[in-house]
Amino acid sequence: MKKRSMYWRMVTASLARRRSRMITALLAIAMGATILSGLVTIYYDIPRQLGKEFRSYGANMIVIPTDSEHKITDEQFEEIKAGIPDGKLVGLAPYIYQNAKINEQPYIVAGTDLEGARKNSPYWLIHGEWPSQPRQVLLGNEIAKAIDLKPGEKFTLSTPKNKNESTQTDFIVAGTVTTGGKEEELIFMSLEDIKSIIGDKGLDVVEASVEAEQAELSQIVENLKQKDAALTPQMVKRVTASQDVVLTKLQSLVWIVTVIVLGIMMICVSTTMMAVVTERRKEIGLKKALGASNESVVSDFLGEGMMLGFAGGLLGSGMGYFFALQVGMSVFARRIHFLPAMIPVTVIVSIIITMIACSIPVSKTVDIEPALVLRGE
Amino acid sequence: MFLRMIWGALFRQKSKMLMIAFTIALGVSLSTSMLNTMLGVGDKVNQELKAYGANINVVPKEASFLDDIYGVSDQEEKGQNYLNEDELGNIKTIFWAFNIVDFTPYFYAKVKVNDDSKDTRLVGTWFAHHMELQTGEILDTGMIKLKSWWEIEGEWVNDDDDDMIMAGSVFAARNNLKVGDSVELSTPNLKKTVKIKGIFNSGSDEDQYIYSSLKLAQDLEGKKNVVNRIEVSALTTPDNELARRAAQNPLSLTLKEQEVWYCTAYVSSICYQIQEVITDSVAKPIRQVAESEGDILNKTTLLMVLITILSLAGSALGISNLVTAGVMERRMEIGLQKAVGASNTKVIFTILTEIVITGIIGGFVGYFAGIGFTQIIGYRVFGSAIPPAPMVIPIVAVLVFLVTILGSIPAIRYLVNLNPTEVLHGR
Repeated sequence: MKKRSMYWRMVTASLARRRSRMITALLAIAMGATILSGLVTIYYDIPRQLGKEFRSYGANMIVIPTDSEHKITDEQFEEIKAGIPDGKLVGLAPYIYQNAKINEQPYIVAGTDLEGARKNSPYWLIHGEWPSQPRQVLLGNEIAKAIDLKPGEKFTLSTPKNKNESTQTDFIVAGTVTTGGKEEELIFMSLEDIKSIIGDKGLDVVEASVEAEQAELSQIVENLKQKDAALTPQMVKRVTASQDVVLTKLQSLVWIVTVIVLGIMMICVSTTMMAVVTERRKEIGLKKALGASNESVVSDFLGEGMMLGFAGGLLGSGMGYFFALQVGMSVFARRIHFLPAMIPVTVIVSIIITMIACSIPVSKTVDIEPALVLRGE
Repeated sequence: MFLRMIWGALFRQKSKMLMIAFTIALGVSLSTSMLNTMLGVGDKVNQELKAYGANINVVPKEASFLDDIYGVSDQEEKGQNYLNEDELGNIKTIFWAFNIVDFTPYFYAKVKVNDDSKDTRLVGTWFAHHMELQTGEILDTGMIKLKSWWEIEGEWVNDDDDDMIMAGSVFAARNNLKVGDSVELSTPNLKKTVKIKGIFNSGSDEDQYIYSSLKLAQDLEGKKNVVNRIEVSALTTPDNELARRAAQNPLSLTLKEQEVWYCTAYVSSICYQIQEVITDSVAKPIRQVAESEGDILNKTTLLMVLITILSLAGSALGISNLVTAGVMERRMEIGLQKAVGASNTKVIFTILTEIVITGIIGGFVGYFAGIGFTQIIGYRVFGSAIPPAPMVIPIVAVLVFLVTILGSIPAIRYLVNLNPTEVLHGR
């Protein structure tokens, strides 16, 4: 009992008395631990974060009716919604297409859930605003140019009612949309608006943006197919296949960078520790001259190393999480997941590295004749 | 005498100095590799993002995309506008020609397959077209590279096959066609029997069409030297404020801004330059690809910058720590020097010189090790080398210099206040 308390007194006193040197060592360890916990946290969170980022490519799954004569009903729409796991859905936009005329020129109206379309396609460039009131539309840029309409202006849309008659409805342009693709030649309005003009005929297509890799997505597609044969869900290959290719690359980039940085930092930490310990050859000599056994000298140093490693690891895992959080906020503007397992891992790795780094110089010095060391050789 | 002291210190304290040099080398290699990777990663990721295909669409003025997809404006055949096939090579002559990765033309023909009552769209295009430009440059470009996500059963068509086609999976399923089957294509101009060389699955509308060489499609429609549309895949710089303003109206820029804009690889300036070389064309960025590319590129670069900063801080701390430890350890020797009459400045100067020499050696070794690490990253991840950026050398040099000098400041302060007798006495 006495022996143990003496041991701890020696260890703590040695740490406290040589404050500046110990702070140096602690800093080194904490830095290593920060990098360890920070990078590993980022590495684990990257797929999730980048996966979200890749959703800016727009919808990666579309559902069309199997039989082109049929439409998608509201119940089927709910089915699709239910088929996508909670929390994975970024946006879901049903579409109804309808021929219409403005000034006797033929155009196509797309009725959709505007909120869903907005989430699906963050790349749409809007001049003006998204429609927020009934009877407001988002006009494709090409149409806006062709018939010279600007946001805020009014126009009359005529839709066929039956063979020879047509319905005239007034709309206000809330904004125009530029994409470089087919959207520029469509007129977007809310589902309610289009249903109020042409009645409820069902949906032509449903576009979904799901936060999932190709494998996961094809599972969702399969399930949907199984559940309802009248629906044909498809992956948008261009988006899904390419996402897998690029995401794999980015992940392996972060992986290899993490490995290299960690490897080098760990060696750096060990050399610093080794330098700090080598300095204390005299102390080792003195202890031995007073009759300490080699084992007790080594265990003294290991005890110190362990405490340093523990403190440094703890400090580092906190700072590492803070760093990862900063990265998450500034790069992805999102919180990064906290990995509770990183704390013990960081602390244990720090302790192991410090102890290894201590034991190398100590075991070298321990065999030296105390007299030689004390004389200053 | 000074030199002898330095050399003596360096050699006698071999293991100590070696350790400092080693740590400096580690720190430098880390900084070098991270900085190089950070600077090179943008280009590499940009290349990878080309997997998403074209980011620029070139169409004739007044052309409509819509008939592609919904077949609406087909009712009346108005005077179609075309682009000139001859001018395609010009795309590779624009200011940013080097950034044009791939491009391919499309020509649309309406054909009846096996006397089907409905028309099917036949798309004539380049698959792996070989071009020799006036500039002497040789170029292979086309669909095969642009549509990396297509799944092919059978084989791609060659550009000189004029009796082979590729069928979309939806079209093939609808008509019960398999690879190797023969079908008859007919237009008012021509009847031709062709073989299906491949069936593709693209996961989009294209699956309902037939693809063939450009020549075959033009022959079927009785047209020469025309195309409907060109898709271009270009490496671009993410848009900034200037690019956004220019995209809205290039004329709103001042002369100087315009020059900057024109000479930066923004997608809008590349579009502008393509319009200059293709008569009566409109080049539009496909925002789905162009915008997202910019997003992901910016995010990846920022991520690398932050990781780089962290590793720079880490290596700086590692180096300065060891330098401090190294100097402190030598207080006996320095006490002796002071006891025999060395001035403070002289002592400091000697120590700094030693450390700087060690730093230079370590830095030199570390720089090359760092380039090695960069190449490991480049080859492991992207399968190609990341060119070392020259600007990394001064950055790392300044960093090492500052860190070693700063690292020795606390030690030097201590040494200056050192009382020789105390130290020599062993206190």
